[in-house]
Amino acid sequence: MKRLLALMKREFWENKGAFRTTPIVIGIIYVLGLLMAVITTVYFDNEFHTLKDAIRFIAEQDEGIRTRILYEGALSSAGLFTVALGFVVFFYLLGSLYDDRKDRSILFWKSLPASDTLTLTSKMLSAMVTAPLIFWLVFVATMILLTIIASAIVLVVGENPLTLFLGAGNLFKAWGLILASYLANSVWSLPLYGWLMLVSAFAPRIPLLFAVLPPVVFAVLQIWIDFLKTFTFKDNLFGVIGEWFANSPLILSGDAHEGSGPGAALGIPITDTFDHAVTIGNMLDRLFSYQMFIGLVITSICMAAALYLRHRATDN
Amino acid sequence: MSNVIEARGLTKRYGRTKAVDHIDFEIPAGRIVGLIGPNGAGKTSALKAILGLTTFEGDLRVLGKNPSVDRAALMEDVCFIADVAVLPRWARAWQLIEFTEKIHPRFSREKCLQYLKHTKVTLDHKVKQLSKGMVAQLHLAIVMAIDARLLVLDEPTLGLDILYRKEFYTNLLNDYFDEQRSILITTHQVEEVEHILSDLIFIQEGRIALDCTMEEVQERYMELMVPPEKAETARAMNPLFERVMFGRHIFLFKDVARDQLESLGEVRTPNVADLFVATMSGGEA
Repeated sequence: MKRLLALMKREFWENKGAFRTTPIVIGIIYVLGLLMAVITTVYFDNEFHTLKDAIRFIAEQDEGIRTRILYEGALSSAGLFTVALGFVVFFYLLGSLYDDRKDRSILFWKSLPASDTLTLTSKMLSAMVTAPLIFWLVFVATMILLTIIASAIVLVVGENPLTLFLGAGNLFKAWGLILASYLANSVWSLPLYGWLMLVSAFAPRIPLLFAVLPPVVFAVLQIWIDFLKTFTFKDNLFGVIGEWFANSPLILSGDAHEGSGPGAALGIPITDTFDHAVTIGNMLDRLFSYQMFIGLVITSICMAAALYLRHRATDN
Repeated sequence: MSNVIEARGLTKRYGRTKAVDHIDFEIPAGRIVGLIGPNGAGKTSALKAILGLTTFEGDLRVLGKNPSVDRAALMEDVCFIADVAVLPRWARAWQLIEFTEKIHPRFSREKCLQYLKHTKVTLDHKVKQLSKGMVAQLHLAIVMAIDARLLVLDEPTLGLDILYRKEFYTNLLNDYFDEQRSILITTHQVEEVEHILSDLIFIQEGRIALDCTMEEVQERYMELMVPPEKAETARAMNPLFERVMFGRHIFLFKDVARDQLESLGEVRTPNVADLFVATMSGGEA
């Protein structure tokens, strides 16, 4: 356990830029965005008329609607963090078993008594837990800062932030659900993560190419063969990956239920395999599904192969 | 005396070529062994097998363990410095020390810091900010602070300037080596290790060309220097190797009576580099 934690700390040190600086930069963009919006408004309207009218308009709305909008807004507010997290984890895993082979530091890591299994575990856990947790913490800190700034503005305009939105929107619940969706998505994404690690352990160079090219070639061949046989397009790897993404427990924007209007949804509500409403139950549904089971089988195969390759890996 | 390394029929293939071809050797505890051979002779392949970094055929035991299966456990008792540039460039010195301390049960932070005190490396330095020599010092400080039974060095001084190279081996000998420990070194710079070695293994095209102690070298090998007019006589005595330097002929003999040679000219113990050249070009030594 002590060794696993040390290995995970090592991963954090190496990837500080991606794991910590990235979300902080996004947080700064959020805060600067709000400040710029406020400054722009005040610049053209130094008596705050428009701002006052807007806030009064919100205050006059029915509390139910206001609560719903604020709640949906809070759920969707992590959007930029979520997208960036996806990129960070993708490239982290692609480099996880490749970079140290390339710079030969693998010879140092392998001279220490940490098993390959433990090393792989630490890298997978860094992708599944460390990165999402840091992104979420910075997200929450950003939101608290934004809330304070917004409250101050509302106070200046002469309304009560408590009744206007602090009491109405269930911010903590939304933030909790975002963390849950990050962690659920870490499990849901295991087959992808396993594939990326395998490529990282295998690729002699340019892991990105080895990660993307085989699935693309496979899918294109599938489509072509289908077309030759039946002159139709059937399900192919692209469709499977698309559906997997649409079914993910990640909070993305969309129409969770037909007619409920734009808001937050789990995945992309274009499939009806799972319920897309943002609840813990719906996340768990995905994790205890037949699809997840298949995904875990794929993950196991990828990880076993990655472990086999890592075991034999030296500098080259 | 127990053996630290025992190899029987050790073979490493890359496709059809055999980098290491069915070699047998053993390294007893408390020895400093030089594994010496030309490029591509199979030194590094043999070392990688010993360190559990590659698969192999044959029987290989390092401290009683099979390195290919038990690498992680083995690394509690084995240290190695591959060559100078393998410390991760992004890491700071304190991170490497903290990490090693948590991963390695026999690492002593105090010792490591003490070794570092004598260098210009500070804890806040990133590896990429250090010169090659300083990286080697940092790596050596970490490795010497580990209470290991076998230290493996693969071209440890490659790319270092002469000051660091001297210091490297001095530190190793004075502060690290003792009766319980063994050191296995591969290097091209035979001259700089020859005075610290206790055993020699020459390897050529995947096979062992010579395996003996330094005492044996002194007892059995002799170099005879004669003027040209006596060269023919010396040549008749079946030398292993002949070279000419400053108009004098130098012959390398094995197992020839010393007084017999002394009657012809000046006799001395050959240095390892000359022995190496003779072995590599003459075949059987």
